[in-house]
Amino acid sequence: MALVKARKIDGAKPGSVEEGGDPLAWLEDADPARRRRAAHALGERPDAVPALSARLAREEDPSVRETLLTALVRTGTAAAAAALVPHLVSEDVGLRNGVIESLQQMPAAVVMPEVAPLLTAADSDLRIFAAQLVGKLPHPDRLDLLAGVIDRDPHVNVCLSAVEALMDSGDPAALPVVERLGARFPDDPFVAFSVDAARRLFSGA
Amino acid sequence: MTLPSDKGGAGLSAADYDAFCRFLRERTGLSFTEAKRYFVDRRVTERMAAVGVEHVRQYLNLLRFQASGEELQLLVNRMTVNETYFFREMYQLDCLVNAALDEVVSGRAPGSRVRIWSAGCATGEEPYSIAITLLERWNRVDDFEIELYASDIDSHVLARAREGIYEQRSLQAMPRDLIAKYFTRLDDQTWQIMEELRDSIDFSLVNIADPQQMANFRGIDVIFCRNLLIYFDDLGRREAASMFYDALSPNGFVCLGHSESMSRMSSLFVPRRFPDAILYQKPQS
Repeated sequence: MALVKARKIDGAKPGSVEEGGDPLAWLEDADPARRRRAAHALGERPDAVPALSARLAREEDPSVRETLLTALVRTGTAAAAAALVPHLVSEDVGLRNGVIESLQQMPAAVVMPEVAPLLTAADSDLRIFAAQLVGKLPHPDRLDLLAGVIDRDPHVNVCLSAVEALMDSGDPAALPVVERLGARFPDDPFVAFSVDAARRLFSGA
Repeated sequence: MTLPSDKGGAGLSAADYDAFCRFLRERTGLSFTEAKRYFVDRRVTERMAAVGVEHVRQYLNLLRFQASGEELQLLVNRMTVNETYFFREMYQLDCLVNAALDEVVSGRAPGSRVRIWSAGCATGEEPYSIAITLLERWNRVDDFEIELYASDIDSHVLARAREGIYEQRSLQAMPRDLIAKYFTRLDDQTWQIMEELRDSIDFSLVNIADPQQMANFRGIDVIFCRNLLIYFDDLGRREAASMFYDALSPNGFVCLGHSESMSRMSSLFVPRRFPDAILYQKPQS
């Protein structure tokens, strides 16, 4: 028979004691596997947030990057959310997407204060990311903030991102807000399409 | 591992329920929403009565601080209900022997090790199905030394898995000739899987949410983790995916359940579409 008795796995035995020292020091190790283990180990240490964020900015290995992001999510503090936000302006699409997903998985109460101010940022791309994020956060201010974007933002694409986020909410109270966008951009065919789609969605048609 | 779908009912206060769910999430990775409240209430109430504790907070303290961890294990056993059968979701076993394993051993010398792990193995139907499928259908099975690992968070089901005794319902999808070949009939209702197969699998109590326990799994070639991560929240799934990544050899595969997608958990793996199934592969570097 080709099946051999597997070597015993002992679930109670610590597996990483051989590393020794402070995981903060391994974050800069040349070996990606060791950096990944460091990020794993630092996921419950609020004092490690600055180091995790700094490494994230330089990290090129996708597996280490993912683990750094997961560690920051697991930390779950306002400081961790604040450390992630600056990466939203990164030119690296993978990092940006990872940061957006990570912020969505953190407590809304710590993410919203960091993200809501971005709804009025000078960079319209950043405002679009912020609208997407706000739309995903289970926070009581979410609908009011998105309505504010739709009523005031000068950039139609930012407004449409807010519309999409509002439609995801499924709340019929969003319909009058979406219809107001039609009045702000009467000649934009995509706005007309979005308003029509919202009417169909909220009427159940 | 599966959970039932009880609905309604209430016993724990909202604050206690929240505290319980957070505690279980942190210690076990299991995630219970408000929809599972009645289910959680009932099991906590049962265990409180069993240990003679009247107040929920006292019980939570017992779970937190009991040195042996015995009560937490008993509660977890009650929170997880295990029902499966042999050759369930067979398309992935087809994929394993038709394509994935050939790719795993490509370039390896005959006689080298191949490690396969069934995570969340419940009462053992999955690892035994893998073993039988390999022996029956992988044409290179005699060229390699194959190690099979199986783990679960529930100590009771692991004991049953090691024992390998099954009723007709578990064997419903299995051809009669294979039952005759690999099982001994004990009575009208029960069959026991042959000793040689029982002895070939390492069954162990493992909490896949615990990085220290997961650190013991390294150099795995294929991980089966089907219909387990659906009970984890987003962060729990992401952490589990990261730990699977560390456990796997480069080019190793993860097999998830048919309703699960790694793309919604993690960006670490590359989806690979084979004729029989989609598997998730750890990149070479």
